Amino acid sequence: MTDTRIPGKTYYEIGQRPQEITLKVDGAKPLHRHRLPFTRRHLLKWRSRLNPKTLRQERMLADKKPLWWTLALGLLLVSAPFLSNSALTVAAVFCMFSAINVLWTLIIGTAGIFSLATLAVVGVGAYASAALNVYLGLPWPLMFVAGGVAGLVMGALLALPSTRLDGLYYALLTMGVAEICRVFVQQLKPLTPMNGSINNVQGFIPADWALQRPGLLLGFAGAFVLLLLALLTFRIVNSERLGMLLQTAREEEAYAEAIGIDYRRARMQVFLISSAGLGVTGAFYAQYFGSISPQVFSLDQLMVLFAMIVIGGLGRAEGAVIGTALVVLIDKGLLDLGPLRILLVAAIMLAVTLTTNNGLTGIREQFRGFRRRRQSEARARRTEKGGEVMPEEAIDINDKQAIYYRRFDKRLRDRLKALVTPDVIEEHRQKPLGQHSDALSRLLNYFRRGEVADKYAIIRQAGNFHSYKIVAFSGVRGAPPRLVDDRIYTDINEAYHAVFLLRVNDLMES
Amino acid sequence: MTNTRIFGYADPLCARAGSPVDFMISVEGADSVSASLVRVIHGDENPEGPGYVELPVDLPVPALIPARRQFTEVGSFARAEDPGGRLDGLSSFTLFAHVFPTAPKAERQQIMGRFAIDRTMGFGLGIDPDGHVALWVGNGSEVDEIRTEITLVPRCWYFVAASYDAATRQAELHLINCVNSWNSRISTVVPFEPDSWVKETLRVVPARTGGEASFKLASATAFNPVRGHHGGFLYNGKIDRSGVYDRVLPRGEVEALVKGGAPSPDGLVAYWDPTANLAREGVADLIPDTGPLGLHMHGINRPVRCMTGFNWKGEESYRLAPETFGGVHYHDDALTDCRWEKTFTLSLPDDLKSGIYCLKIAAGTGSDSIPFIVRPKVPKARLALLLPTFTYLAYANEHLSYEAPIAQAITAHTPVLSEEDLEYKKLEEFGLSTYDHHSDGAGCCYSSWRRPIITLRPRYRLPAMNFPWALPADLSLIWWLEKAGFDYDLITDHDLHAEGLSCLKPYACVMNGTHPEYYSEEMMDASEAYLREGGRLMYIGGNGYYWVTGTRSGEPHCIEVRKLDTGSRAWQAEPGEGYLASTGQKSGLWRSRGRAPQKIVGLGFTAEGMDASEPFERMPDSFHKRVSWIFEGIGDEEPIGDFGLAGGGAGGIELDRYELGLGTPPHTLLIGSTWGHSDNYPLVSEEVTYAFPGRGGTQDAQVRGDMIFFTTPNKGACFAAGSIAWSQALPCKGGENNVAKVMKNVLNAFLKEGDLPGAQYTGDEKLWR
Repeated sequence: MTDTRIPGKTYYEIGQRPQEITLKVDGAKPLHRHRLPFTRRHLLKWRSRLNPKTLRQERMLADKKPLWWTLALGLLLVSAPFLSNSALTVAAVFCMFSAINVLWTLIIGTAGIFSLATLAVVGVGAYASAALNVYLGLPWPLMFVAGGVAGLVMGALLALPSTRLDGLYYALLTMGVAEICRVFVQQLKPLTPMNGSINNVQGFIPADWALQRPGLLLGFAGAFVLLLLALLTFRIVNSERLGMLLQTAREEEAYAEAIGIDYRRARMQVFLISSAGLGVTGAFYAQYFGSISPQVFSLDQLMVLFAMIVIGGLGRAEGAVIGTALVVLIDKGLLDLGPLRILLVAAIMLAVTLTTNNGLTGIREQFRGFRRRRQSEARARRTEKGGEVMPEEAIDINDKQAIYYRRFDKRLRDRLKALVTPDVIEEHRQKPLGQHSDALSRLLNYFRRGEVADKYAIIRQAGNFHSYKIVAFSGVRGAPPRLVDDRIYTDINEAYHAVFLLRVNDLMES
Repeated sequence: MTNTRIFGYADPLCARAGSPVDFMISVEGADSVSASLVRVIHGDENPEGPGYVELPVDLPVPALIPARRQFTEVGSFARAEDPGGRLDGLSSFTLFAHVFPTAPKAERQQIMGRFAIDRTMGFGLGIDPDGHVALWVGNGSEVDEIRTEITLVPRCWYFVAASYDAATRQAELHLINCVNSWNSRISTVVPFEPDSWVKETLRVVPARTGGEASFKLASATAFNPVRGHHGGFLYNGKIDRSGVYDRVLPRGEVEALVKGGAPSPDGLVAYWDPTANLAREGVADLIPDTGPLGLHMHGINRPVRCMTGFNWKGEESYRLAPETFGGVHYHDDALTDCRWEKTFTLSLPDDLKSGIYCLKIAAGTGSDSIPFIVRPKVPKARLALLLPTFTYLAYANEHLSYEAPIAQAITAHTPVLSEEDLEYKKLEEFGLSTYDHHSDGAGCCYSSWRRPIITLRPRYRLPAMNFPWALPADLSLIWWLEKAGFDYDLITDHDLHAEGLSCLKPYACVMNGTHPEYYSEEMMDASEAYLREGGRLMYIGGNGYYWVTGTRSGEPHCIEVRKLDTGSRAWQAEPGEGYLASTGQKSGLWRSRGRAPQKIVGLGFTAEGMDASEPFERMPDSFHKRVSWIFEGIGDEEPIGDFGLAGGGAGGIELDRYELGLGTPPHTLLIGSTWGHSDNYPLVSEEVTYAFPGRGGTQDAQVRGDMIFFTTPNKGACFAAGSIAWSQALPCKGGENNVAKVMKNVLNAFLKEGDLPGAQYTGDEKLWR
């Protein structure tokens, strides 16, 4: 569209609706809505609505996230064969860490348990499955089961104190657990020669493919599948029954309990599911690298992971993935920078915490809120309370007559304000009911015609005929009026006059 | 201490001595109530009058009456009479209806179906909380739902159909717009695209509900362990023809049903056609099933009938084109009968004094006064006080000052509430008055005595006016009759409506209450016949004989009025919906039907205001010997009633005027008029043709209350003082005042047999005054 604005003239934006692609709907043709198998959900959230302004039907994609996910993951998948060997490793590491972070997000975000033992669970899964593989010859597919079971057991152990300890104390405890694991593994006699590591794990990558192009491609493919599984777990846990129960509990724990939601149990379940998932990830980790070292329990590794979640935004799968992508790119992709990259990560983390409300993925919402605030501030500067409707507001008012009412009311009030004089107030004090001067009649009629909500009334005190207080109506059926002040009037005319003074006051302040 | 809540009502509201009165009492927080019986003489607690006066009654009433919490079914719906469960456990089915939703975005509403909410069993077609049409099915543990993509536009006619195929679990919804030039809020100029047709495979097969639910229109079945089954998912709006098939209808057959013709009999289980039993004399609560099984629907809380349907084409009355009046309007806050269990019955002795009685009940912190009116077993006195019980019901539990933004402008002052009023309003359980609107904005046309009514409590003051209204106001008249020593019988509108002239005939003189506004044809006829046959009537009230009102034959507890077109109306019936479902008559003002109140009592409504009342002044005619006896003991220039408990004067609140053009008898003498009303007394709307400024009390001569006298055949006569405030001036100054003097003069003459004083004069004689 060409810009027809005249230079130098001030313009204001009208209308709120973001650009949206809408489709036409034909109500005379059947619309088959298909569900995902075994769920009530539809594949995509196509919704139509009757536009209240035009009464026309519009169909649009109400939730566009699936689109972005498909696009981003598809791009990664398609570009993988064209990546260099080192980039392919970075991509695989990204997928693995993303999977860990997505599962961790379930624990911190969905279940609301602040556990820092995530990598410890991964490590226990990795060590258990690797030990079984190396020392007992467990075939690699069963390693995932072993890792899952180990993760589950570890998760159960960690879950127990979570009901007794709050926030920070629990976080410290889990950190302690991770440290104990590290020390335990390092001091384990049979592993001492390897400095605590288990090497030569036989995984899904054939030994002769190791560090070869096909091995790297297969490794990436496995990591990618792992990420998809983690995302699926997140989706099922977070957006289905368990997640919904916990969402209610998050808003109001006592209320959730009162309506029969056992949120503690739901938290435990989420914790256990995630831990099992982390155990499986551990088994994958050991297979991918062909070894596992105590480094997995270390604090610095945990802190890097934490940085990913914080940068991406807590509580969302896309936050975990984006944060991981950024940090992995810096940490593993910019190896040339040396120790500087850790400083870079720290700087980004600091910047994100200082400037955003909830990581990178919260920026969009934050920006919208900021824009809304700026818009309303700009409007507030150009208008006055109870004043006329501006064009940008008018768009949102369905009953256009209300716009005229606002204009009329504004101008009427301006005229009425000029009528308020000490004489008029004295006239009312002397005779609140009956025929009044023109000025007082106009004032009274304006007051009496007002909307019911917040309109003043008088309430007689029980047991005393001439004893009154002033209240204001709620305007809602069944909702009682509120007391305006506690003063008792012993003459009905005094009460009438007190109401009049309140109304004059409201008028002059408007 | 527990908070005790006590409410009760008497059935009937007006009983004859010697007959029983049932009391329905609900107590929360106690299992019995203490009871005592009193006769109330005066209600108004204003210290300028005698205050509250009651007399103990020597009647055996149990000191403690066992009572329990009773529940009220609020909201109107219709329930199918289906003892064989033919509408239960349908496997494949189609539900269809023409609907006119009035509040589609509030809560979940069921248009039709058999669904048990707490057990999640059965099926229901309705509107989801966002305003989409939806079909929900429940198998006892899970619910599944298909809904249209789009939401409903309020107050437009639609055809909705929902089918479910048990074999494939495929559900289908059809939403087809029926808006035309006549039937909806908007017309066809709107580029309206409301149709929707959706198919979806559900996961759940609806379960048979058995006794857990019944098939209903406008409601589903809710359950509470203390209360039992009751209505839930209540629907707001109209439903025209509706029906059920036991098979899935293909699109072609669905489209055929949209036109509303007879449905194909193949697989038809039920077809409810509200037009099938519309009779000239009105219609009952039954919605007939014209299908093969006759599973008729029974309306609860009076779904409003004789309403325009989807195929309405502008006919004014359902009598002219009944096939276009299939609309039945359902409301989620309608209440015409609490249907409480009887708590105890009082047998009135044969010789019980006629009066307004109260059963006072109390327990813990709660109490209630349940009023009922007793008339003598056989007429005893020569004077009858006709209590306007229709008007009492019309104003029962009114919400004006709480809900009507213009109420303060009408009354011209700030409302004065009371604590007990707030308790009542917080509860919102006992229904509306004919001055209120239902939650969807439609006016309330029914009011019944089968519910607790706060406005009938003797001490009650109407918040909007801050003085007693209706029954509590009429007690001022009773107090004065007792004080002045006149023997009287109480009779009521309901007696007059049921018995006609024979109710009035035994009395030499009949006196109206302060505000006899609601009149049925039977009551109009009886009043006119009474005057014609020599009766003597004292019409000492304002705005009487005004609204055409009806009750269904045999159901006196519930009155019906449709406010339309003109008059001081709290709401206005929609076009075509002005006829009473109870009687088939056109409602609105009697004046609009050729029977202005002036034709019976010489006066008719002209102005109202609630800021201040003014005295009457004598008019020149009052000095003529035909009527000068009325003013015996009153000075020529003496203001009559410059005092009073309603606005401080005898002339005010609602005022009636002499008007030959509207039928005041030509020989009527205008003997007094009020003077000095403020501009808060504007001329009433039925008198306004062209609107121009200056129709208030200070500028318009038609804003006044008149006092008149005219004779009727057979030595009858009518004295009228057209002001609601008149009777509330009587208790002032200990009952010794000039309003009382006028009343005494008239009563003494009217109660005496033979010619009235001044009857020998015609008005042509030369006289000295």
